[in-house]
Amino acid sequence: MSIATGQATRPLIGQVAKRPSILSRVIAHRTDYLYVLPAIIVMLVVIAFPIYYTIELSFFRTPPNLQMRDKIWTGIDNYRTVLSSSVFHEVTIQTIIWTAASTFFAFLLGLGAALSLHREFIGRGVMRALLLIPYVISAVAASYVWKWLYHSDFGVIGAISVQLGFTDEPINFLDNRQTVLASLIVVNIWKEFSFAMVMLMAGLQTVPDQLIRAAQVDGANAWNRFWHVTFPHLKGVSMVTVLLLMVANFNSFIIPFVMTGGGPADASHIWITHIYQLAFGRQQWGIASAYAVILFVVMMALGYFYVKALTRGDEARAG
Amino acid sequence: MAEIVLQRVMKNYGPLYAVNDVSLTVNDGEFVALVGPSGCGKTTTLNLIAGLLPMSGGDIVIGDRVVNDLDPKDRDIAMVFQNYALYPNKTVFKNLAFPLQMRKLPKDQIDQKVRDAAKLLDITHLLERKPRELSGGQQQRVALGRALVRDPAVFLMDEPLSNLDAKLRVQMRSEIKRFHHNLNATIVYVTHDQLEAVTMADKMAVMNGGFLLQYDTPANVFANPINTFVASFIGSPAMSLIPLEGVTSGTDASLRSPEGWELPLSPMNARKAASSTTSKIVLGARHSTLKLHKTQVPGSVPGKVYTVEPTGDVTFAQVFINGAVVNISVEPSVVIHPDEQVFIEFDQERMHLFDAETTMALQAA
Repeated sequence: MSIATGQATRPLIGQVAKRPSILSRVIAHRTDYLYVLPAIIVMLVVIAFPIYYTIELSFFRTPPNLQMRDKIWTGIDNYRTVLSSSVFHEVTIQTIIWTAASTFFAFLLGLGAALSLHREFIGRGVMRALLLIPYVISAVAASYVWKWLYHSDFGVIGAISVQLGFTDEPINFLDNRQTVLASLIVVNIWKEFSFAMVMLMAGLQTVPDQLIRAAQVDGANAWNRFWHVTFPHLKGVSMVTVLLLMVANFNSFIIPFVMTGGGPADASHIWITHIYQLAFGRQQWGIASAYAVILFVVMMALGYFYVKALTRGDEARAG
Repeated sequence: MAEIVLQRVMKNYGPLYAVNDVSLTVNDGEFVALVGPSGCGKTTTLNLIAGLLPMSGGDIVIGDRVVNDLDPKDRDIAMVFQNYALYPNKTVFKNLAFPLQMRKLPKDQIDQKVRDAAKLLDITHLLERKPRELSGGQQQRVALGRALVRDPAVFLMDEPLSNLDAKLRVQMRSEIKRFHHNLNATIVYVTHDQLEAVTMADKMAVMNGGFLLQYDTPANVFANPINTFVASFIGSPAMSLIPLEGVTSGTDASLRSPEGWELPLSPMNARKAASSTTSKIVLGARHSTLKLHKTQVPGSVPGKVYTVEPTGDVTFAQVFINGAVVNISVEPSVVIHPDEQVFIEFDQERMHLFDAETTMALQAA
């Protein structure tokens, strides 16, 4: 009896099991669609519409003397303008430097902090709390504090370096095209390395003690234990952390905007601040929109890798 | 291969002594099982031998070196862990090669040694696989291989079979025994399963509460348990322990129950009972030494059947005597029922007497 029913549900050899049509599958799940409908409507209003409107605007010119509804169709002119402008190239390079350097050093610093905090020692809790401060304080407040630290006349950093005899006079960190981007990157690393630290500390918890002991018995020194046991275990969380940092850095706005506003002479602009300036400073909505669409495409690509990294982590764990 | 000597080894965490004054010698080529319940200090002792934990006191000698301050890698030991502890991102080959690689052996030698070990353990066909693609038994064999490949002086095994299912465990038990026989290896083996210890080890060290209670061959531990803990821990079903009162009149002695019966003791047992610090004595007996009668015979005491468990070639019964549960094995042909009144005859030659106060086995003075 049970054998007979077992065979009946299985398709016979050579016969392709027929998949139910999309429509019938949708109908079968109609209540599920109903449940997610409110969320979808909200998403459409606050996300999909702005995206659509930005894409639309990117094909128009919006001279300041015209009303928005009288915008002028220009095709892909805005894209051409953006992509061929020398400022765009300069800002793109700055964005890449900003993102890469911030991500790399924040991750490295976070990894170091996580590894040193992973061992037990007296005062570990206090250290952990202290190192978390940059991450939890407001970025605007931090930016103002750093702006003051960097200040060419009253800045603490300049004063200390003069007193210690490193320099004859205070360095002008922010009003100098050569040093401004690096100075901002330092602030950004300081601000976000604790995020990497928290992520990696969580990752370190998953490294089995027994594996470390096995490696110890097998003769691995501290570096080899890290390289052969700990680091492979951190691969998944590292990938996610780096991607999240990259996305956050591509999108970061507060630090450059508050500290320099992109100056001097665009030397500390990154894409986001530049777009903001074009749109809300110079009212060049069309150009800014085209610019934003380019950024959007780049972000989507990053997002794709992020999701891929996430699901790969799941697969590795499932296996 | 080498011998291991532990001299007054201590490990404390604040006021808590995980290992308390443990001294024992593992002879060259001997298979020693550290056995005891969870938290008895057996794994800590193993980790101290391995050098994975710092000692609080005492000395450990492996071969002819005092290894107290040596790192695990310098102690010439290999370890097999409970969860196998295979490197998940490495293939079986690379897992086996890792300890050799860390010792900077030339590549062709590594290759040769790995293949030899793989052949010995019959895992050659698995060399290119990752640990997660292996069954529990295969992973266990790889873990053994990783220990074996280095040709260490001592093998330390921390409950290597406890993650396997029952059938595989029995199979791997004989494989590890064979492994020991073939290599003539010195092995220290930690287990909470007394059956593993009894079946595999040349000697067993029974631990409880950080103390080493008894260190002897399984047969001796089984026959002469040093105290009530060892008596009830080793053997399955456990030795039955009945708390009674010792009574002497002249040279005769007997054990009296508050239930009203009295069990006369043989002269030998009477001398043992006389050495007790108080009159409270615990009578111990293994199931196979007891005889069950339906009617009272001389030297038997009354009891009430609690449960009957037929296992096929032998039937186990639990009988209440003086409030204690007594295990007894009977022929399957014997028909008994729960709540039935029966009489249990003790074998004076093979019964054990313990001091109820100190829990120690009583010796004839």
